[in-house]
Amino acid sequence: MTTASRRASLRPGKKSIATEPGAAQRASRRRTVRRKRRTNSVTMGIVGWFLGIVFFFPVLWMVITSFKTEAQAYTNSPTIVFRPTLSEYSAVFHSGVWPYVANSAFATVVSTLIVLALATPCAFALSLRPVRKTRDVLFFFISTKMLPVVAAIIPIYIAARDLHMLDNVFTLIVLYTAMNLPIAVWMMRSFFLEVPGELLEAAEMDGAPLRRTVTEVILPVVAPGLAATALICCIFAWNEFFLAVNITATKAATMPVFLVGFISSEGLYFAQLAAAATVATLPVVLAGWIAQRQLVRGLSFGAIK
Amino acid sequence: MTAIAPPVASAHRRVRTRSEQRRQSWVRRAPLLPALLFTIIVTQLPFLVTLYYSVESWSLVRPGSRHFVGFSNYVQVFTDSQFRTTALNTIIMTVGSVLIAMLIGVGLALVLDHKFIGRGVVRTLLITPFLIMPVGAALLWKTTMFDPTFGFVNFILRPFGIGHFDWISSFPLGSVMIEMIWQWTPFMMLLVLAGLQSQPRDILEAAATDGARPPAIFRELTLPHLRRYIELGIVLGAIYVVNDFDAVYMMTHGGPGISSANLPFYIYQRAFLGFQVGQAAAMGVVVVVATIIIATFALRLIFTSFSGTEEAA
Amino acid sequence: MAEVKYENATCIYPGADRPAVDSLALAVKDGEFVVMVGPSGCGKTTALRMLAGLEEIDDGSIRIDGQDMVGVPSRDRDIAMVFQNYALYPSKTVAENMGFALKMHGVPKDERARRVREAAKLLDLEQFLDRKPRHLSGGQRQRVAMGRAIVREPKVFCMDEPLSNLDAQLRVQTRTQIAELQRRLKVTTVYVTHDQVEAMTMGDRVAVMRLGKLQQFASPTELYDHPANVFVAGFIGSPAMNRLEGTLTPDGIHTGGVTIRPPDALLRAAQGHGKLVVGIRPEHLSVGGSDLALKVELVEDLGSDSYIYGHLSGDRDAKIIVRAGREHPQPGELIKVGVDTAHLHLFDAASGERVGE
Repeated sequence: MTTASRRASLRPGKKSIATEPGAAQRASRRRTVRRKRRTNSVTMGIVGWFLGIVFFFPVLWMVITSFKTEAQAYTNSPTIVFRPTLSEYSAVFHSGVWPYVANSAFATVVSTLIVLALATPCAFALSLRPVRKTRDVLFFFISTKMLPVVAAIIPIYIAARDLHMLDNVFTLIVLYTAMNLPIAVWMMRSFFLEVPGELLEAAEMDGAPLRRTVTEVILPVVAPGLAATALICCIFAWNEFFLAVNITATKAATMPVFLVGFISSEGLYFAQLAAAATVATLPVVLAGWIAQRQLVRGLSFGAIK
Repeated sequence: MTAIAPPVASAHRRVRTRSEQRRQSWVRRAPLLPALLFTIIVTQLPFLVTLYYSVESWSLVRPGSRHFVGFSNYVQVFTDSQFRTTALNTIIMTVGSVLIAMLIGVGLALVLDHKFIGRGVVRTLLITPFLIMPVGAALLWKTTMFDPTFGFVNFILRPFGIGHFDWISSFPLGSVMIEMIWQWTPFMMLLVLAGLQSQPRDILEAAATDGARPPAIFRELTLPHLRRYIELGIVLGAIYVVNDFDAVYMMTHGGPGISSANLPFYIYQRAFLGFQVGQAAAMGVVVVVATIIIATFALRLIFTSFSGTEEAA
Repeated sequence: MAEVKYENATCIYPGADRPAVDSLALAVKDGEFVVMVGPSGCGKTTALRMLAGLEEIDDGSIRIDGQDMVGVPSRDRDIAMVFQNYALYPSKTVAENMGFALKMHGVPKDERARRVREAAKLLDLEQFLDRKPRHLSGGQRQRVAMGRAIVREPKVFCMDEPLSNLDAQLRVQTRTQIAELQRRLKVTTVYVTHDQVEAMTMGDRVAVMRLGKLQQFASPTELYDHPANVFVAGFIGSPAMNRLEGTLTPDGIHTGGVTIRPPDALLRAAQGHGKLVVGIRPEHLSVGGSDLALKVELVEDLGSDSYIYGHLSGDRDAKIIVRAGREHPQPGELIKVGVDTAHLHLFDAASGERVGE
């Protein structure tokens, strides 16, 4: 090799292969980029799925256990392979769970309906042109949610006792309504705020009286929000334990109370327990899965969408 | 055109009549009232009554023993070593659970922010712990996970030489905290995820063009943006966790002794198991005052940082 | 008959230090297409909304067909409005959107369907009648918004910048369609825009507004040829009219380092005004004349003609625009420009008002 050509081959970028990328080189670069993107997505996928399964595992294990028999559940090393059976579920349903389900369902549905009925007009009024009072009212609603129930339980218990309203599902309904109202007001308000003002003006120009504007224009737009709010109120009402355990005894006891009674009275029967827990938690888990997207809004008082 | 006197001074100014104004404001207020009144009656009245009870000594098992004792209940509360222990437990539980849950939540949110196959399913799986009835979740952990003989945790750790370990008796506070973290991580994750997804993409692209590598982008742009979501999550989470009664009740019943009791549980014990209404009421008031302090932060965050309506990009 | 009269109508927002609309006096003839134009904050949208009943008339009044509208709610004014963002009802189909107002007024179903179909035909919307707004393009939505207004056969159309959300090409197309439509339907129309090209091409008469006050209300040609003040002179016409400071001298107007002699009538009218603003449009300056000396900064070549941007040599800040043909000088050149004094405009420097007719 002559000195000149050696120097030429050492100079960066000045290889004898053309510095212009040929079609082949371009294609390989493109493949690298795509591969990198895919690896990224695959890595994240693996990590994501792993974490998801890890977090979900206790629930999964509970459901699996519920399909075992006690003998299969009560083993030192968990049995992975087994023939599923519904025997524990039937035991649960024969152990008198239905009144609890009925109470929970009744308290949940009725309190949610009342909450919607009260919160929707309230939220609507609060979503109109803001007045100083608006902020004060909103502030008040949040503050009630933040105060510990434990500070109010004693008077509530004593009042209920004196009014002979203990162990009464309607007492629960009243309490659950008060519990969920702040969330509902804030959530509904955030949905109302999303209705464009122009829409209301158009309806007014079209001659719609307030009632029809509300029913034909506003409610259809806000309907998904209403549904989401309802689902979230149902979730909190169904899962509520502290008030239920203190205010109810036998007649008005709800599902959470059922679970508790289940342990202490029956000792530790794993499979049946798992079945009972699955039955108790299933409705809300489904509701939560459906209302997933709105969950954040409910939890953050509508501050985050 | 000559300058015209401002219309306000003009005699022809069409001001709404007093009665019109009053009617308008009524129309605006009326829809509010049912919800407002209901909430005031059901939430504020009991609290006022609690205040009243807290200055009495009253045991439910001895009717007729009610009498006014001024602040002596409060003095007893603050000199009660058990109260101090449970208060400490509450703080440990709350701070520990909230911070760890937030840490994990941020990690999960970061993973979920990337596109991959089945992302929606994974997200659904990850929020499930939050949806499980708290007593159900506590039950779950107590039995199928932590049980000394049959629990899954011991099964996993058997190859490492640990088996038959009674987690709940040995680490009562820790066990309860693990359960709380499991339940509350999804909440933190959702908040942070909302924050990540609300970040405008073009800002990130601009940073990439400016030569920033992903760690730098995260540190300089994403983290500051996430700050208010993280703050909100921590404060809201703290408020909810401080009041968490179900987990303690189901998993340990406060025990052994009161080593895992938190304030809500302790107050419950005093009121419904010890029937000491006055003392329980005083403790309740103290808890409320403490919560108000944290709540003020939360409210300020919600009202200013997020302004309750639209956020700027 | 649907005449619209603003009689010293005023609207002031609470807490503002000046009225949004200040004593507006305007008379729109029946069937006329009037455009309100001006920069943002000039009050044009507020004035429109006062007519529609969406803003309070704080002082003065507005009359439609002679009837005073103060205190009359929108739904009783027989006005149809086309909103800037269309405001279509998302849960309703196109046909339902268009028929909504009729439904509110109790028009029977067959009659409603007939009128909706007619309007849909007029606007080429027949194939979309069963679709919901979210499945329509921007231009289609805009037509539905118009259809909703047309179907009502109202006394007045109010249009609030209906073209501003469309892309440029669609805007030009729709502009002509709207103008044609209005001519065919002969409904009194009040149209608001910030785009003076729209104003000039669509309006029978144009109201120029600024900071809540009416500047001039006249036909586009009149506004162009005889602007009533400096603001209108600079606002109407693109590129804008050249405006130079000048002083009155016995021989003429001294400006740009030279003395220009306006027509005698104008010079006579200018007596008594010491300081003046001289206005001359780019097309009334010609390259190669002998009046002003210009240093060329930039040339915009538009194909058919070109615009020369420069400044008076000797005064960096006195910017001048000259219209030229395909042949044009290059940036950096020094050129001489001639002034067509027949098209000179003079304004009093202090008040901004036009001098002469």
